[in-house]
Amino acid sequence: MTARIRPMDISDLDAVMAVERACFSAPWSRGMFLDELSQGPGRSWFVADSPWGVVGYTGLMQIGPEGHVMNLAVRPDARRAGLGAALLSALLGDALHRGIDRLTLEVRPSNASALALYAAAGFVEEGRRHGYYSDSGEDALVLWSGPLGEETMSAASSTLAVRARAALADFRVLRIDEPVGDEDRDDLILAIESSCDETAAAVLRGGREVLSSVVASQIDFHSRFGGVVPEIASRKHTEAIVGVVEEALGEAGIGLSDLTAIAVTYGPGLVGALVVGVAYAKGLAFATGLPLVGVNHLEGHLFACVLSEPDVAPPLVALIVSGGHTSLVHVPEWGEYHTLGSTIDDAAGEAFDKVAKALGLGYPGGPAISRLAEQGDPAAIPFPRPMIRSADLDFSLSGLKTAVVTHIAAERRAGRELRVADIAASFQAAVIDVQVAKALRAVEECGVRTFLIGGGVAANPALRRALTAAMEARGIRVSVPPMDLCTDNAAMIAAAAHLHLWRGETLGLSAEAVPDLKLG
Amino acid sequence: MTLYLALDTSTEEIAVGLGRFVVEGVHLIGEVNLDAPRASLTHLVPSIQGLVASADLEVRDIAAVIVGRGPGSFTGVRIGVATAKGIAQGLGVPLYGVGTLDAIAERFAGRDGLVGVLGDAMRREVYPALFRCVDGEVTRLTSHSVAAPAEVAEGWLDLDEPLVLAGNGLHKYADVFLSVLGDAATIAPETMWLPTGQAVLEAGWRTLSHMEQGDGDAAALLPIYTRLSDAEVNEKMLVGVETLAPASGVAGPAPEVRP
Repeated sequence: MTARIRPMDISDLDAVMAVERACFSAPWSRGMFLDELSQGPGRSWFVADSPWGVVGYTGLMQIGPEGHVMNLAVRPDARRAGLGAALLSALLGDALHRGIDRLTLEVRPSNASALALYAAAGFVEEGRRHGYYSDSGEDALVLWSGPLGEETMSAASSTLAVRARAALADFRVLRIDEPVGDEDRDDLILAIESSCDETAAAVLRGGREVLSSVVASQIDFHSRFGGVVPEIASRKHTEAIVGVVEEALGEAGIGLSDLTAIAVTYGPGLVGALVVGVAYAKGLAFATGLPLVGVNHLEGHLFACVLSEPDVAPPLVALIVSGGHTSLVHVPEWGEYHTLGSTIDDAAGEAFDKVAKALGLGYPGGPAISRLAEQGDPAAIPFPRPMIRSADLDFSLSGLKTAVVTHIAAERRAGRELRVADIAASFQAAVIDVQVAKALRAVEECGVRTFLIGGGVAANPALRRALTAAMEARGIRVSVPPMDLCTDNAAMIAAAAHLHLWRGETLGLSAEAVPDLKLG
Repeated sequence: MTLYLALDTSTEEIAVGLGRFVVEGVHLIGEVNLDAPRASLTHLVPSIQGLVASADLEVRDIAAVIVGRGPGSFTGVRIGVATAKGIAQGLGVPLYGVGTLDAIAERFAGRDGLVGVLGDAMRREVYPALFRCVDGEVTRLTSHSVAAPAEVAEGWLDLDEPLVLAGNGLHKYADVFLSVLGDAATIAPETMWLPTGQAVLEAGWRTLSHMEQGDGDAAALLPIYTRLSDAEVNEKMLVGVETLAPASGVAGPAPEVRP
């Protein structure tokens, strides 16, 4: 595992306050830290950033040629891993850089581990402040470093480095500057997904192995309205969420205490639905003390491919097609996303639903149209291929949907019986033609050799076939997740969370739901 | 003694309380009442975290959670309920629900007489609830509902008894109630219109002391909506059936209501 010493900023304050409260009987307030951070050039504050978030910090105040070590704290559960030494080493380096001659600090005589650390860094006792600590009436020892020059520094920092490494060899809790590839981890992540009308939870080991994936679909509650009713979705999530998580943990055969982290979809999606998942996940993370990783739902759809084909790797282009999204994304590496184009009106799944409704096929429209289309003639009706020749990579599906609806109305007016299968097949063919043309252009423009398809509409067999054939004809590898990973699920959210957890990218407990969250 | 965490976000205010229950009532350890319109998701958990820390306690010291189930803002109620579910499940402790309007009524426990609480239900309606306070005991006289303010006021006029009014529904409808009820109504000071952390604890204490708290199953606890979603209301109005929400808040896929 890897930890990083970096400057503190205000986004760290939640975590710093947690460290502060865990370490001191008279903790500083958040306001005091805020005040320190706004003091300008006279101060330096550093944090130790680990996969569990910020677990330690230290600070320096410069007064002319002298520096005062304000505080140095490491959360009890992250101690004995060399993080204190690493923080002090960073502080010494900073002091030297500032041209500080000597450093001083106060420490409790009862704090043996701190005394040992400061001794290793070359600090010696030069005085005592009587009754300095108001809570216990204990004296403070006043320690001073030797004169900070290049030589003392290298001696002090090498002593600290040895100390840090020795601690790590013994405990292997945290390593400093020795990152391990995240593929070697066997972390257990519980992920929660509630962005639309599926309440889902999954447990994933090591970012790849799905121990459980539970999806509670609400489709029966929405279908008679011809689409997802946001208020019903939010209510059903609230009702289902605890049971779905219990089931996911039970199927995985683990308890909450076995987990490494909790992950949650925080956007994009229906705001009321996202809020339920985010509020619940924050409560769970707060109660368990586990880190909370926020995942972009669209990134989850990309990671669905990784679950089914672990060797799929960037650089690649992905097409995400679902009820809410239709976009082409360039992925030069995991975690870096550039949206090349997206729908300017309806999402693909939305167009399927609306056409199905016009044909009286019920909701959801995708599977119904796809089944009917198998028996129809895709060339029967020449529906438009909107924007197929436009130079950009955006889509438009609203015009096509209108053309279909107009055609249906005209046929009815003329008293002709609707050739439902032909309409379904012709409409689907028009959608597919545009997707294939744009996808090919995107792959060519980005010069990649791998193409992913994700999202609920990726479950459409004709679309999968057409994209696969077109790409493979050009020697491009295609990865399409199995059907159950195309539609919304939490396993894909956990897979994406695995990446972010080990990059130290976690959400604070004040996290929000972001309904219009962008990918890249 | 068992430590209880209480929270409610059904109104524009976040109410968080931490306390221990004794035979006589609640021993309050601390509370946070934060005006946070449309920001309860952001501030709720940090508020709880801050309160627990400033009381020098650990989150794992919490032995049970009490949550205000509404009625109120649908999203607000869900933020409180979903967070409480996560905390209770995460700690493996029971979760108990109380009515948000019941918590507001608790603030009048020391004053004998009728208390009418009016939550703002938007769309020209209120969530009304009537309570009787006697010798520190608070008893609910009406069930959860949503209604037009004038209709509620007329009903309360028939009681022919003075009553104190509270609740954020008064921001819009104090005039309606005063004109119908006249001298019988006293509007409580605005500082008494919302639940507080202590009041949610008090409501929880009363529920437990009457052994009406249920089994504490976090999975089974549901918000109180009183209203169905608009889609379902419209659907039911088409076939002319009752539109009040069932306990689950969702009328369900029952085919007999298909228009």
